[in-house]
Amino acid sequence: MLTCGRFLSSSPSLSPLRNLNLSLLRRPHLHLLSSATAAATAAAATAVEPDPKGGAAKPQWKAAIDFKWIRENTDTVAANIRNRNSTANLDLVLQLYDEYLALQKEVERLRAERNAVANKMKGKLEPSVRQALVEEGKNLKEGLIALEEDLVQLTDKLQLEAQSIPNTTHPDVPVGDEESSVVRKEVGSQRNFNFTIRDHLQLGKELELFDFDAAAEVSGSKFYYLKNEAVLLEMALVNWAITEVSKKGFTPLITPEIVRSSVVEKCGFQPRAQNTQVYSIDNSDQCLIGTAEIPVGGIHMDSILPDSDLPRKYVAYSHCFRTEAGAAGAATRGLYRVHQFSKVEMFVFCRPEESDKCHEELITIEEDLYASLGLHFKTLDMATGDLGAPAYRKFDIEAWMPGLDRYGEISSASNCTDYQSRRLGIRFRPSPADPPPTNTKKAKGSSGPTQFVHTLNATAVAVPRLIICILENFQEEDGSVVIPEPLRPFMGGLGVLSPKTK
Amino acid sequence: MKGKLEPSVRQALVEEGKNLKEGLIFLEEDLVQLTDKLQLEAQSIPNTTHPDVPVGGEESSVVRKEVGSQKNFSFTIRDHLQLGKELDLFDFDAAAEVSGSKFYYLKNEAVLLEMALVNWAISEVSKKGFTPLITPEIVRSSVVEKCGFQPRAQNTQVYSIENSDQCLIGTAEIPVGGIHMDSILPDSDLPRKYVAYSHCFRTEAGAAGAATRGLYRVHQFSKVEMFVFCRPEESDKCHEELITIEEDLYASLGLHFKTLDMATGDLGAPAYRKFDVEAWMPGLDRYGEISSASNCTDYQSRRLGIRFRPSPADPAPKKGKGSSGPTQFVHTLNATAVAVPRLIICILENFQQEDGTVVIPEPLRPFMGGLQVLSPKTR
Repeated sequence: MLTCGRFLSSSPSLSPLRNLNLSLLRRPHLHLLSSATAAATAAAATAVEPDPKGGAAKPQWKAAIDFKWIRENTDTVAANIRNRNSTANLDLVLQLYDEYLALQKEVERLRAERNAVANKMKGKLEPSVRQALVEEGKNLKEGLIALEEDLVQLTDKLQLEAQSIPNTTHPDVPVGDEESSVVRKEVGSQRNFNFTIRDHLQLGKELELFDFDAAAEVSGSKFYYLKNEAVLLEMALVNWAITEVSKKGFTPLITPEIVRSSVVEKCGFQPRAQNTQVYSIDNSDQCLIGTAEIPVGGIHMDSILPDSDLPRKYVAYSHCFRTEAGAAGAATRGLYRVHQFSKVEMFVFCRPEESDKCHEELITIEEDLYASLGLHFKTLDMATGDLGAPAYRKFDIEAWMPGLDRYGEISSASNCTDYQSRRLGIRFRPSPADPPPTNTKKAKGSSGPTQFVHTLNATAVAVPRLIICILENFQEEDGSVVIPEPLRPFMGGLGVLSPKTK
Repeated sequence: MKGKLEPSVRQALVEEGKNLKEGLIFLEEDLVQLTDKLQLEAQSIPNTTHPDVPVGGEESSVVRKEVGSQKNFSFTIRDHLQLGKELDLFDFDAAAEVSGSKFYYLKNEAVLLEMALVNWAISEVSKKGFTPLITPEIVRSSVVEKCGFQPRAQNTQVYSIENSDQCLIGTAEIPVGGIHMDSILPDSDLPRKYVAYSHCFRTEAGAAGAATRGLYRVHQFSKVEMFVFCRPEESDKCHEELITIEEDLYASLGLHFKTLDMATGDLGAPAYRKFDVEAWMPGLDRYGEISSASNCTDYQSRRLGIRFRPSPADPAPKKGKGSSGPTQFVHTLNATAVAVPRLIICILENFQQEDGTVVIPEPLRPFMGGLQVLSPKTR
């Protein structure tokens, strides 16, 4: 093995035993190389920078993952990975972690030896003794450099593998695929129409509300122009949602729609995966956001929030951009699946013990909003197979869309616990009265213990899907559409959309 | 070679025909290449210029109109960044971490102010017969070029999407111009007027300096844009109409501004004539551009392929492609109704009070739930 050559050239005055010890140390490296290769092939599409030297990939950033906890709860973590159909490789993570611990110990041991040798060299010594010590010191230093390089590579590999371990799961979440999701609440019922109903595309055509054809020429499929009253309807939905939600103590925000790709990853999305939902900007490390969740989560990146500030609640308005790669079919006609849309999003930073309560609060706000619009919908507790990696628990709302003859998702509320905050680096300092937490982390350069906040996100309004709901549910026989009462003040009092006379 | 021929005569003709065919193929290839080269070179010829446009650099631009005057403050004024800080309206620092420099979050009442400006502008302008539009913000790069912008130029203002022929729009002018690409509009439809709301994305490559601090020069902003398709003989009149709408909007907000007839050195390639409005920004101690109204005559329509069929009473113009009657190219015009960040600067800096509060212009109050004053938060 190449590296052994270093030790073959070491001074013959060194004890043979020491030689043996040093050469034994190189074996973990061999082991590392093979596991590194395995890791490279097994790696899910996590954030990597290709190493220009052609070695293993480097993560661009590090998540503060609780490896000790994972080691102590292997069965739970493994079951969770299975239930979520995750491709995370737990065995590899544990193996790498053990190697990491062992290697770290060796590095520390070598450092201690080097210090010991350095200490021995202080004071008067026989030249030959000094020379021997200098040789030994040099060998130790070279050995240390090699091991420290290995440690860095190992840490990177461990980080990459561990980043793909999904969040833990709330005990009440149903286990299984989409069909196992459970209805938590149902509001209203499917309207009985005594005439042949139109779908939103037909209604939009007769009311001159959209143009998909021109948008296909100018931009591509799944783009659209909103025209006439549809513009007022979008503005009304946004204005109304911001007004209603900010009344409940949420701070209004308008966010950037271009963000660094590392922030996208830290929120749990994968800009570089094949079939990614994320648009990237050419010649740049920037991406377009698919949801305001990303810039809002990022607003407190690498920060320690004062305990008195929590829970911190934002209501954010942005445009959202999604490639919808891999999505096709009739169910994606019209406004149902589009590349660009407006959304008002709620986002909460809170203490860990408050996140379940905040989740309930968010879903209640959503249910109240949609009920007040007069929609018929169901709230689902999403099953493990349908949770994204960041979500501890997720409630989706599906509203009845009679023109599409199906329920369609109009919102999603996720409790991400500390998954995002461990990646975004968002902590808080609990007030002295609070009990010390189980995983007390010392913050960088601070004097007291900090904890990771919990983050939650929930859709207030996703405009196109609500436009579908409003047009299809509140249509009349003559093709006109009744505007829900709460929106009328935001539309200059307009009560009905009527077909244009031409 | 039709009809009976001697074999040797036929053979000679076949040879000749073959040579001619080969020669023709070469020449046709040359013609294609030459057409392409001609097209490339010619595309960069700028639009013609209105005879009244002053000739020269930026300093030669002429003031057409001035409204209001610089306010005299009896106290030391703050700039919009200071005001925004005390009123908790912006966050540039967090945006620099998340996105990069020249990005920002709007917070609290600044969100209401942006929504109010947009809602008010759409409301006012649509009263004048402009059709409201919300447009795509991702478009094919060819459409960007046809409007007269250069996505592939060095220091381009245009963001491109990776692995795609698509770009982000820098103005709604592009998707609105594109809405009637390769079309023949009925004469009765003209003038066709749109008021379009979109976000705009600009790289601002090559722009630096103190004058670009804060909201003055940013990568992303909201804008309400007016766009007109009209008959050639109407475009001067439409241009006057657009600039008047702008001047009325800004006067009603109580701003002090000048309307400039931009000199030849400052017109973009597409513009036949361009009026810029520069408003007084006391915190920056300068006039800053808040809007631009251009008459692009047929520059964009020749590229976008937008024609109309004049009614029979009209004089006969050019024959259109593949149609039975003559068509002409429409004229296109575009004008900013509101560019939100610059108006926020104007409002904050002009209407500030000594205690750091800001009075909201009357027309916007109904769109802000009646809010009259922005006050510093008590902490």
